Amino acid sequence: MKNLPDWLTPEPWLNRNFSASDVQSALGAEAPDEATLAALLSPAAADFLEPMAARAQALTQRHFGRTIQLYVPLYLSSYCSGGCAYCGFAADRRTDRHALDFPSVEKELDAIHAMGFEEVLLLTGERSSQADLDYLRECVRLAARRFHNVTVEVFPMAEEEYRSLTEAGCTGVTLYQETYHPETYDRMHRWGPKKDFLQRLDAPSRALAGGMRFAGLGALLGLADPRYDMLALYRHVRHLQKTFWQAGLAVSFPRIRNEEGGFVPPHPVDEKMLAQIIFAFRICLPDVPLVLSTREGAAFRDGMAGLGVNKMSIASKTTVGGYGSEGSKEGQFDVSDARGLNEFCAMLRAKQLDPVFKNWDGVYRSAALFSHRSSASNIFIFVVCCSAGSLSSSSLVLSAHCFAFA
Amino acid sequence: MNPETGTLKLGGHEFKSRLILGTGKFSDTATMLAAVEASGTELVTVALRRFNRQKPGDDLCAPLARLQGIRLMPNTSGAMNAKEAVRAAQLGRELSGSPFVKVEIHPNPHHLMPDAIETYLAAKELAADGFVVLPYIPADPVLAKKLEDVGCAAVMPLGAAIGSGGGLSTAEMIRLIIRDSTIPVIVDAGLRAPSEAARAMEMGCDAVLVNSAIAAAKDPVAMARAFALGVETGYAARQAGLMPKSDVAVATSPLTSFLK
Repeated sequence: MKNLPDWLTPEPWLNRNFSASDVQSALGAEAPDEATLAALLSPAAADFLEPMAARAQALTQRHFGRTIQLYVPLYLSSYCSGGCAYCGFAADRRTDRHALDFPSVEKELDAIHAMGFEEVLLLTGERSSQADLDYLRECVRLAARRFHNVTVEVFPMAEEEYRSLTEAGCTGVTLYQETYHPETYDRMHRWGPKKDFLQRLDAPSRALAGGMRFAGLGALLGLADPRYDMLALYRHVRHLQKTFWQAGLAVSFPRIRNEEGGFVPPHPVDEKMLAQIIFAFRICLPDVPLVLSTREGAAFRDGMAGLGVNKMSIASKTTVGGYGSEGSKEGQFDVSDARGLNEFCAMLRAKQLDPVFKNWDGVYRSAALFSHRSSASNIFIFVVCCSAGSLSSSSLVLSAHCFAFA
Repeated sequence: MNPETGTLKLGGHEFKSRLILGTGKFSDTATMLAAVEASGTELVTVALRRFNRQKPGDDLCAPLARLQGIRLMPNTSGAMNAKEAVRAAQLGRELSGSPFVKVEIHPNPHHLMPDAIETYLAAKELAADGFVVLPYIPADPVLAKKLEDVGCAAVMPLGAAIGSGGGLSTAEMIRLIIRDSTIPVIVDAGLRAPSEAARAMEMGCDAVLVNSAIAAAKDPVAMARAFALGVETGYAARQAGLMPKSDVAVATSPLTSFLK
C-alpha cells in the first residue's frame, strides 16, 4: 500500500520551513492542531526546549496532578510467528522460546502483586499455537482476579476476540503501529500477518468496538522519519478520539534499542529529540496520558517524570516470567532502567511526585461485565467482609473485596 | 444555607466550613493531609479508585478517616455510566462507612465533562437508597431542579472544566441555578484562585469544592488556607449584603428634578 487514509496522512504538514516565530505561536496556541505539533516537532523548535518543557510540565500538573501512575509488564510467551526485523523475539532469531504455563502465570502475577502493583500489562508475540487467544483469555482471567487493571500488548485480533478478552476482565489494549510509513512498514515486517499494515492500523478501533476502555498507541522511534511518524500518530489519536468518544487513549514513545540480530535503527532519535517529541505531544494532547517505559535510562526518565510523562513502568522484566521465578535467559530488549521499585519511588517522591499504583477499580470492570451480559455465565462474587458505620472507628473496619469469575 | 445558624446543611448533616476539598493530584499524602487540615474543611471527597485497603501506602481513604472532624465523601470518578456509578457508590459506602457520595460520571476520560443523563439516573437510584447524594453536573438549571426533585442533598455545577483553572466561566447559569434552588448549590471544578471562591460565595453559592487549585499550587498548604479565607470572605460579604450594582452614576443634580 502506498497511500495512507486521508484521516491519517501527515503529508500536508511535513517539510514546512517553520521559523522561530512559528514555534513561539505554536507554544501559545489556544487550540493546538496538526500545524501546532508540526511546528513543535520542527528543527526550529529544538531551540525552545526549555519553554516547551515548562509548558509541558504545567499542563501535566493541571491534568494529572503531581502524580505518576505505575504499571509493570509481564511477558507471557516468547513464541512468535512474526518477522519484525528489529525484534529480539522474531521467528528467525535463535533464542530459547518459552511460554508460561498457568501455574507459572499465577506465580508471576502473585509476585508482581506482592511488589505493590495494581496494574499489569500482559505481553505475547504474534499469535502462536503456544500463545493463542484461549491461552491469553485464561491469563487475563487469572490476572483479573488479582489486579484492578489488566491490559494487554499482544497480537491484533478481530472485534469479537477483543470482546471475549473484555469479558474475561481485560480493560485495555496497547498496540503500536511501529511505523506509519507504509514502505518502511513493509520492509521491516518481513512475513506473517503483521505484514498487513491496514489490518494492524485498524486493530485499536476493533479493540474499542469490542468493549475495551483504554487503547495505547505508539510508533517505534528509529524506524522511519520521526516527524512523519509522530504526526501520523497524533492524527491516529485524534481520529480515535472522534470515532470512539468514550475511549481512554494513551501514547507511548518507545525508542528502538539495539536488539538481538544487530539491528541498527535507520532514523535514530537522540534524547533531545525524544524530549522534544514528548513535550510537543503534551502541549498538543494536554489531557492524554503519556507513557515512558524502562527502555529509557534512569537519568532521562527521572528528568521526564512529570515533564509531560505521567505514566511509567518500573522493575520491568522483558524475559518470559522473571518476577516469581528466574525467568527466561533472553529478553525482548535490554531494560535500560533496571532500578527496583523502592528506589524509583524514592526518586519520584524526592521530585515531589506521588507514585500511584491504583488509579482504577475492578468494580468498574465488573459493572461493565454485568451490563454486557443478560445471562451471565461468569459469576461475580462481591464480598464485603464487614463494615462499620462510624468513621472514627474506621481503623477497625475490616473490609475486603475480591473478584472471582467462575 | 441554614440562615438561622449560618451552617451548611447537607442531608441532615451540618457543617461550619463551606469549603469542600478534593484529595487527588497531591505530591504526597502528608501534603494532602496538611492541606485538608489547613483548609478547615469538614468534608473531603476521595475517589473510590484511590481506595486501597490492602496497601496502606497507596490508600488515600484510611489516613483521611483518621483525621478528627472530617467526613469522607467517596466519589465515583472512573464510572462511565449510572450502573457503574451505583456500584462504586455502594462499595464506597461499605468501605468508608459514610452516607455521602459525590456522583461523578464522565464517560470521556480526557475532558472529564459530566454526563447529565447518567448522573440523573444514578443520583435518583442512590438517593432512593438512602445516600446523601451530591451530584457533579454541567451548569444546567433544568437538570439541577430535576436532581432536587429526586432527593439530592445538593447540586454541584461546574465552574469550568476539571483542572482547567478556568474560573467561574458558567457564572450566568450558576446564578439561575441558585435563584431557583431549594437545596445547597456548590460550585465544583474550575476554580483557580481564592478570589473566585469568594465570588462564588458572594453570588450566593452555599459552598465550593476545590482540588486542583490547591494540589497544583506552589505551596498547597498555604493555598488551602487562602481558599478557606476566600470562602469565609465571600460568605461574610454575602451575609453583609452587597450594595446594588448600577450601570449609571447617580447624579447629584437628578435628571428628574423637574418632575413635581
